[in-house]
Amino acid sequence: MRYYFTLLSFLLIGGCEPFVTEFSDSATPLRFEASNIDAGSSAYQGGGVKVLTWNMRFGIGRFPFFGDSCGEGVIADEETVANTMEAIAETLNVIGADIVFLQEVDLESKRTGYWNQIQYLLNNTYLNYGVYASTWEADFIPSDGLGRVNTGNAILSRYELGPAERIQLRLRTDQSDLVQYFYLRRNILKAEIPELKVGQKQFFAVNIHATAFATDDTKQRHVDKYVETLGQIHSDGNIFVSGGDLNAVPPGAVTDYCQNDMCDGEDYHTDGAEHFHKEGSYFENFAGEPDILAPLYEAYQPAIREGLINLPEHFTHAPTTSMVDANTIRRHDRKIDYLFTNMEWEDQSGFTHQECWELSDHMPVSATAQLPTGN
Amino acid sequence: MILILLVGSIAPGQARAWDSHSAYIIKEQRWEMGVFQPFRYGLSESLEYSVHPVLFFVMPNISFKRSQADLGTFKTATRYSMIYPTPLLNMLSKDNIGGLIDPNITMPPMLGLSGSYLMSKDIFGINTTSKIGIDIGLALGELDTRSNIDLPLVYHRLEVFHNKWGVHAGVDLTKEITRRVKLFMDIDMRLLPDPDKDRGGQEYSMHSGDYSIEHKMLLVWSRSPRFRVLAGYKLVTGDYPYGRDTRLLPYLPMMEKWVPLIEFQWAK
Repeated sequence: MRYYFTLLSFLLIGGCEPFVTEFSDSATPLRFEASNIDAGSSAYQGGGVKVLTWNMRFGIGRFPFFGDSCGEGVIADEETVANTMEAIAETLNVIGADIVFLQEVDLESKRTGYWNQIQYLLNNTYLNYGVYASTWEADFIPSDGLGRVNTGNAILSRYELGPAERIQLRLRTDQSDLVQYFYLRRNILKAEIPELKVGQKQFFAVNIHATAFATDDTKQRHVDKYVETLGQIHSDGNIFVSGGDLNAVPPGAVTDYCQNDMCDGEDYHTDGAEHFHKEGSYFENFAGEPDILAPLYEAYQPAIREGLINLPEHFTHAPTTSMVDANTIRRHDRKIDYLFTNMEWEDQSGFTHQECWELSDHMPVSATAQLPTGN
Repeated sequence: MILILLVGSIAPGQARAWDSHSAYIIKEQRWEMGVFQPFRYGLSESLEYSVHPVLFFVMPNISFKRSQADLGTFKTATRYSMIYPTPLLNMLSKDNIGGLIDPNITMPPMLGLSGSYLMSKDIFGINTTSKIGIDIGLALGELDTRSNIDLPLVYHRLEVFHNKWGVHAGVDLTKEITRRVKLFMDIDMRLLPDPDKDRGGQEYSMHSGDYSIEHKMLLVWSRSPRFRVLAGYKLVTGDYPYGRDTRLLPYLPMMEKWVPLIEFQWAK
């Protein structure tokens, strides 16, 4: 009987885990390893360190998902997810980055057939180690048939990852309590890579996915926290590569994409419209938003240098909905994905991989960082 | 849906009256029902039927229990159930809040059949019922593989239609504490042989959860043979497409709290 009550106690406690994970400030990222790690493949061989950032849209490619593309789809079909994940793994193998920042990676979510996408990518690329911090973890989302969701940011690396930290970003304040309870909890994911330490300088990789749809000052708070996180590493005398989907346009960019993103039946920029601007498509919600990234450009080295950031070949966002006319899709229309370092990037190594249009609504950006001498 | 399944499953009993889970048949012309509990009626001394009157309009259902010849010192019975969940599932296939199934999916006509063999006996003063049975899920049309509902209690019942069949077994125990108060405890297992093979999340797999174990404990207070109140908990643990999971029910998501299961039942 005593064993029965002991077992029952464990089960009852285990059975009361939160329905939606709200994450404490000290939540620990999950860790992953490739099923096979070749001896020597995780040792730094010298030279530059290639870095890539990619919002991979949870491996659904151009599936017309209801949440972001005027689509009506919810649960992606097997063929779509399998083909996209295979192509993403192939793309990573071809680009050959040493450190990969991923946003919108699914971990056993119903909408993508319960794949563990991190483990799949580690097992099917040369990358060996991974850490993951969820931005949205719920046992069940009782809306649109979504069901279980776990999606977030990941850092994949050829080199072993040291201590990692999930840094919680402020929640939106422009939502009801009910919506906020089931909504995303965005974060910055920071990991040390001991193999790339240079002398006394510790090496950090920092990944962020900032708010997309907030109409309050949440985006400012997210960028502030990001600047603070990088500033702390820098002021401690350490080095970093960092990147992610900042959901913010660069200084000098167009700030209104409501017409680009408008779905059938929607109405913006007209008196009497429910919302004058479309959430996530307008970048002047508060004073200073158009220049929100200026502090990053002033303090650190961008992979795509400032004079080039508003050129079409460096646009990273590629919605299916952006139309030039009734029949022509504007394939890439703004830059919202970035890489920064407090070291130097190799000359002209920054590249926006716009050929990946079929694989996500964001294009990967890669560049090669030069480690300071002394390693 | 989960609430109905949860509370609808509580029907512990004493001999004959209030005894839907055991091999005993309700007395002829007696009826019993609860807030969530199905309506149950004795057609004869050897046959009863039950139907959930509220659910019936969105999920037609009926169940018959017939007493069988005693097996040694065991009282035995067979139970046959039939449900037609299609209307309810199509109501849950909707946009926005309340949508539990992808709104792009239309559920085909589906018929669930279930047969159980029950054996009851008093052992050391504890009313004990063992049961075993088979579930058949017939889909009369193409059942979209994406149409699962990954909730405890619901997932494994709906999976019978994807898997086409399943088995269930369980034990119920009822112990009289005082003349008016009883303790009821049960454990039930559902197995889905041959679901999708679990590849550890390395490929698309909507149906790899292959078992669930449900346990409940209830304190039952009978005010009279015509009215009683039940309170307790239900614990569900099982394998789902995302792995193993355990959940204590009923559970209030936004408050992140378990609350007791409470049911009122009447009879005549």
